[in-house]
Amino acid sequence: MSAAEKKQDSAAASVLWPLLSGAIGLALWEGLVRTFKVPSFILPAPSQVVVTIFDQWWYLLSQLAITVFAAGLGLIIAVVFGLVAGAAITTSRLVDQMLTPWLVIAHAVPKVVIAPLFLVWFGFGLQSEMFFVVAFTFFPVIVNTVTGLKSADPEQLLMVRAMGATPAQVLAKIQFPNALASICAGIKLAVTLAPVGAVIGEFVASNAGLGHLLIRAVGDMDTSLAFAAVTVFSVFGVLLWRAAEWVERRVLPWHPSQRDAFLQRDANT
Amino acid sequence: MVAADLSPWGSTGRSAAGASILLKNVEKIYGGPTGGLRAIAPLTAELRAGQAVSIVGPSGCGKSTLMRLIAGLDAPSRGEILIGNVPVTGPVPDIGIVFQRDLLLEWRKVLGNVLLPAEIKGLPDMEARARELLKEFDVEAFADAYPWQLSGGMRQRVAIARALLTRPALLFLDEPFSALDALTRDQMNVLLQHVQTTEGVTTLLITHSIMEAIFCADRVLVMSGRPGAIIDDIRVPFERPRRLALRETAEFTAIGRRIREHFEKAGVLVG
Repeated sequence: MSAAEKKQDSAAASVLWPLLSGAIGLALWEGLVRTFKVPSFILPAPSQVVVTIFDQWWYLLSQLAITVFAAGLGLIIAVVFGLVAGAAITTSRLVDQMLTPWLVIAHAVPKVVIAPLFLVWFGFGLQSEMFFVVAFTFFPVIVNTVTGLKSADPEQLLMVRAMGATPAQVLAKIQFPNALASICAGIKLAVTLAPVGAVIGEFVASNAGLGHLLIRAVGDMDTSLAFAAVTVFSVFGVLLWRAAEWVERRVLPWHPSQRDAFLQRDANT
Repeated sequence: MVAADLSPWGSTGRSAAGASILLKNVEKIYGGPTGGLRAIAPLTAELRAGQAVSIVGPSGCGKSTLMRLIAGLDAPSRGEILIGNVPVTGPVPDIGIVFQRDLLLEWRKVLGNVLLPAEIKGLPDMEARARELLKEFDVEAFADAYPWQLSGGMRQRVAIARALLTRPALLFLDEPFSALDALTRDQMNVLLQHVQTTEGVTTLLITHSIMEAIFCADRVLVMSGRPGAIIDDIRVPFERPRRLALRETAEFTAIGRRIREHFEKAGVLVG
């Protein structure tokens, strides 16, 4: 067996075994629910969840769209704020010392606990939800932006200063590109946190979206619909992560973490 | 000449082939003028425009401090530095610097790295010049490669091309080849003395290698240990282009002997 074949073989195995494990788990679940005749409002069988997804796909997707919209808006605000605040903290010691304690405190406060306050401050609906997403996601973006901007090679900074670079040029040509990998990591974290923030926001302060759907379904004892919502939400989360990775590959083709893919692409063309 | 138009100093003291450099009683003391660490003793030297000068000295003799002073990244405690008859008061953008590490930006392709100084100085249309330099340094095939795809020697050649892009008045090399293997280092020495001829740029090479110092220069300045002072000034009479075999000639080894004796006397080398 050649090395390439072996590699292909192990690649197939790396897909096969997790799939098999998933199938066994689902079969066990299905079998137990049927054998012991568990009432569906306590635990629906996987097959029933699938049926519910197909029956109510339009309702589920329309509510998911609302959640995604709130998560997306909140995420954009958090990323813009995170980048600007991160740059300010890196450039000015004063800003660092004045702003950082507030950010740490804001992050340390348990968000779920203050969720009802958001309702009081921002009212019922999208804006409350959006700020909830911001509260959930700004911290990893800021922390990673600051780390990235501060980790520029001191000799590279010296070099461009010797070339006569202005502070803005130093930021644009050295510090920012150097920080991109770290910023991407922060945004990836934020991307996974954003829908969670949106759903919790919907639990508290909204009459639409997947979070609201969940609360309603559980209230109606429609556990199958709740499971359908969770499934749709999880699939969306995985797709979102994949999308973030795809974007990262486009942004960081030079980075050590992407070199394997780069070499493969080179070999294919 | 393009470079002369870009120079803030006009034509005074600056030929098409680089600028003259004058160090007048330059002294550098870290940590206050009294009782601090004296890195450079009062030092006076003059480099003619277009001259290739090597500075050789033991570790910690203030060679890199001298580089920072000439590049205007640091101010001398006393004395004055003039490049092309103009006193240095801040960063001098008309210098191309090559460091021990190549400092290529990993996120830029080779061509983008070479073009960096033009971008920073706002000079358009330098791509032809950049490609010409890459060709001269035999790395033009890698113009669209990322730095990590290049060998150490190739990377350092790209770094030299970057330093030369805007036709600086002075090319400053701070131990540029000390991280390379011996064979690559020899190749780089040949390349450097070739570039000095074709580009005609005033060159200041800081090195620990006595052979390299002689091979690449018209003149070798020998520095003492801290505080750094010039203890010998040797003219290197060989014609260019030079070949590596030159290093085995009696005249060459005699110069090497003379430099080594200084270090033996100072106790840096035990002969």
